[in-house]
Amino acid sequence: MSFINPLSDEGKRIVMEDGGNLDRIYDENSQLIDIVYSISAQETSDDAFIPKNYSDLVIKRVEWFIEKKSDPDYKHKKYAYLFHREITKMDTIAFYILCQAIGVKFGPNSRESRAVVELQGQIIENRLEELLISERTEITQKILNNLIVQDKIKWTQLADLVSSKKISLQELVLKDGNVILDREEFMEHFGEIIKKTNRPPEKMYDVFIGNRIKELIIIKMIMQNTENYIKSVHERVKIIEPNPILLKIADKVSEVLSKEMRYYGGVSGGGTVKASPLNVDLFPPCIKSALEGIKSGGRNEVIVLFLTPFLSYARLNPSVFRSNATLKVSDVDPDLKITKNEILPMIYDAADRCSPPLFDDQPQEKININAKLGFGMHDDLNPQHEGETTWYTPMSCEKVKLQMPALCRPDETCKSIGNPLSYYTRKIWQNKSNK
Amino acid sequence: MFNPATLEERRIYYREEWDIKQVPDFIVNSVENREFGFDHFGRGPNDRYKVFNTPEYLKRFMKSKTPFAAYCSVAFYEKPRKRDGWIKSELVFDVDAKDIPIRTCNCENVCEICLREAKEIISSIIDTLKGDLGLNNIHLVYSGRGYHIRVLDEDVMEMDSDVRSHILKYVVGADLPKDKYDDSDGIYNLEHFSIPFGYPKVFTERVKYAINHLTQDSKLDDVNAKLLKDVLTNRNLLDRDEWGLFKTKIGPLRYKKVVKAITSLNMGLVDAKVSIDLKRILRLPSSLHSKVSMRCMEVKNIDAFDPFKEAVPKFVWERK
Ligand code: SF4
Ligand SMILES: [Zn+2]
Repeated sequence: MSFINPLSDEGKRIVMEDGGNLDRIYDENSQLIDIVYSISAQETSDDAFIPKNYSDLVIKRVEWFIEKKSDPDYKHKKYAYLFHREITKMDTIAFYILCQAIGVKFGPNSRESRAVVELQGQIIENRLEELLISERTEITQKILNNLIVQDKIKWTQLADLVSSKKISLQELVLKDGNVILDREEFMEHFGEIIKKTNRPPEKMYDVFIGNRIKELIIIKMIMQNTENYIKSVHERVKIIEPNPILLKIADKVSEVLSKEMRYYGGVSGGGTVKASPLNVDLFPPCIKSALEGIKSGGRNEVIVLFLTPFLSYARLNPSVFRSNATLKVSDVDPDLKITKNEILPMIYDAADRCSPPLFDDQPQEKININAKLGFGMHDDLNPQHEGETTWYTPMSCEKVKLQMPALCRPDETCKSIGNPLSYYTRKIWQNKSNK
Repeated sequence: MFNPATLEERRIYYREEWDIKQVPDFIVNSVENREFGFDHFGRGPNDRYKVFNTPEYLKRFMKSKTPFAAYCSVAFYEKPRKRDGWIKSELVFDVDAKDIPIRTCNCENVCEICLREAKEIISSIIDTLKGDLGLNNIHLVYSGRGYHIRVLDEDVMEMDSDVRSHILKYVVGADLPKDKYDDSDGIYNLEHFSIPFGYPKVFTERVKYAINHLTQDSKLDDVNAKLLKDVLTNRNLLDRDEWGLFKTKIGPLRYKKVVKAITSLNMGLVDAKVSIDLKRILRLPSSLHSKVSMRCMEVKNIDAFDPFKEAVPKFVWERK
């Protein structure tokens, strides 16, 4: 159980029994080493692949996450032990060390914390995938029973899953705002009506609710609990002096997160699209017309919500949807020169071409542009404020069509993409391979 | 009726008929957090960013300015004067009778028939908001030419426009339900009409409504005159919920075409831009819709509500 949910009672017991003695985290842990060597799927050719102590294990978890996300040559065999239950005890302890380190040093709103929460979600997802179907069903149900102490889950608690398209509202079976997950509850609400259709209600339950939705929900809830835990650690620091060992681990984690973040990615077809100067000829129709300025209403939306994310990502992180890495503008453009000299001027030009020019009557929109780049609500791009807001990702074609229908004049390429940014990366790739 | 109100009539309305008490509580209680906007000359709301710290100020403004149209934001702000410090927004569905894609009337503007149809659409959306999504703090407003549903449940007011667009598609039936489902034993084909719960049920109801309101002149993507005619001839089967038979009569491939066309048509039942816009302004309930001389007002009992009785200002009856 704590292999999947370290925050369960079982997980807490493991940590209690261990005594939580941080001084030992650099001591060689022969039990851990033995287990890792005994896993046949594990690559052992290089000594560096093997975690020797708790500190190693903490760092390896983070490394795994980064590599899996952004390294096209990611080798699962290097990290096979992370997916074997034998390490449960050590893994649980490593989880707590990791969360505490991030909690004391960076707090719940940091980039590091977001990465750790996401990491935990990923790890659970992959661990579940490695289980046998029957086991998977059983464990999922057990964990769910354990997590849902309050009697019901409301769909509104899953809003961010809906927003990020991980779950569609249409897939959930809803009744009075509650997400129906429980077999008995399903029967109670729908059993009779289903019988009238001459179908077995039990089967309908398996088919409609089954495991997938449950798994998504437990992953999501554990991620949320992880974040809450980091927060609670952070709050305690205000009262108790943090252990220097934790601070050291936190620095190491942060270092791994930024150093290992490599910018791979590309478009389907195998090419990689790296950060490079913008080629306006390859822009999709909607962006081209937005650059000419907006003559009627909706100027702010087009400039702030549409052009700003598009131009900044196209210039700095065109493969964002592919690599799925949480980057900041300054990860790619450390002194913000590109942003100030190339991206902002293009946005400002387009704003000027609007009629009336956008900033003439709404100068505050400049601040909104900075906010959409991740620099908070301030009137300049100051690295110290970075992270106060998030770097807004480009909106999808679907959203363009809803919000600014006048801009969307699809051409051939549009048929095969769902986001104007993918249009651009695809064109770059085609352009390259034509040469 | 439906004639524009003269300047004199507007004055009479605001000075003699209008009362601040007609502004619903859900607005009065948050008056200081909302942005107000006005249209003084009938050219669109260009007097915006107005703020009233108390209902009394709003009252004085209305009585003295007697605006052509009055609006207030669905958003709550910390600093409404700058539209800054966004706190949350009502979730809104706007059904304008004039823009319903399936109207059985052929009127130019609006008439009793399309207003009634707007009301039917609105009621089914409200049912879904309550029954499926469990929302309770729902207010219905007659807008003068259609209806606004305004949802003030705390949980949804903080949601972003992505979630709102999903909700919208759910309640109007604008997504094709899956028809392939799998569990550990295999893959199943299940038609939306054979699933009596969840989204497929909502979708089935919306398709039925649409088919029942099609006319010979309806325009559906990819549906030709012959197919439309066949649908109309066989639609009585749906009254008895004989979907399988209906599908066989139409032919399975052609059935798919019809359903797909209705899916995109349903998207047009509600003005999507209004629902996903977190900073929209909407007509202020109690104010006058001067273009059609009707009152925009909160509706307490949807079944009993008749705009031609309740939303017609006195001055209209007195017109010669
Ligand atoms: S389909 Fe997408 S990329 Fe093409 S014009 Fe429309 S919004 Fe732009
Ligand atoms: Zn009509």
